[in-house]
Amino acid sequence: MADLSTNDGGWSPYLAGGLSGIVSILSVWIAGHFLGASTTFVRTVGLLEDFISPERVAQMEYFIKTTPKIDWQWMFVVGIFIGALIAALSSKSFKWQGLPDLWQKRFGSKSQGKRAVFAFTGGAIAMYGARLADG
Amino acid sequence: MKMLIYGLITGIAFGFLLQKGRVLRYDKQLGALLFKDMTIIKFMLSSVLVGMVGIYLLVDLELAKLSIKTTLLGGNIIGGLIFGIGWGLLGYCPGTSAGALAEGRWDALWGIIGMLVGAAVYAEAFPLMKQTVLTWGDFGKITLPGILGINHWVVIAIVVIAGLLLFSFFEKKNL
Repeated sequence: MADLSTNDGGWSPYLAGGLSGIVSILSVWIAGHFLGASTTFVRTVGLLEDFISPERVAQMEYFIKTTPKIDWQWMFVVGIFIGALIAALSSKSFKWQGLPDLWQKRFGSKSQGKRAVFAFTGGAIAMYGARLADG
Repeated sequence: MKMLIYGLITGIAFGFLLQKGRVLRYDKQLGALLFKDMTIIKFMLSSVLVGMVGIYLLVDLELAKLSIKTTLLGGNIIGGLIFGIGWGLLGYCPGTSAGALAEGRWDALWGIIGMLVGAAVYAEAFPLMKQTVLTWGDFGKITLPGILGINHWVVIAIVVIAGLLLFSFFEKKNL
């Protein structure tokens, strides 16, 4: 049996993952919501576009299907931020870092620009794929 | 309003566990893609196995309904491949990017901005996608027990056993 904690003070991924499974069961039971995150990015960008050009957003098929609004999942994603912040601060594992260790090992410690381009492009591509796959 | 509070509380619990499981980090996400550190697979699969048993119990007790998505090979396969390329470049996924930022990994912010742009681009491309990719290989709302014609608990038992075997393989190989 694997240890129930990691050497840096974290929990075993089996334990944390299993408990998150219980969270998902309770969510489906109590609120009737399955866990997800990517629709929130659609709603958020829809809200931003709606601020600039509401007439245009009102005509766009995708925003008619996925209404720009703050809903259960939007608050879920905000909650992820808060929950991770609480866990990181209370265990002193919060670390202000713009270049991940593994990235620095490969691209060096002065690669902020490259990291920004990779992360931005990666994010845009990943979200396009996630929406296409309906994930 | 009540739903918004449920969402927030569920997110806080989930974000707390993501951070405790150490799965928010770039190094862990890339570690799995490089087959060197399977932490995130252990977390995800543990969550899936527990969730699968519990949710099917709720369904059998008529306390919940499944929310089955359409199996659409065009969208699922092409979208999945595109997602994988982006994920490998970014090193965070949509849900974990918010948690990674909360942990102080501020490069996730570039990813979040990128994801908003990706969502905006997809919204523009949707009418074209709907006429093309999203018409390829539409199997409707199918499930494994449904197409196999067997009781869902048989499938659940097989998946749980396969998952546990995979876990023991990971531990043996020290992944």
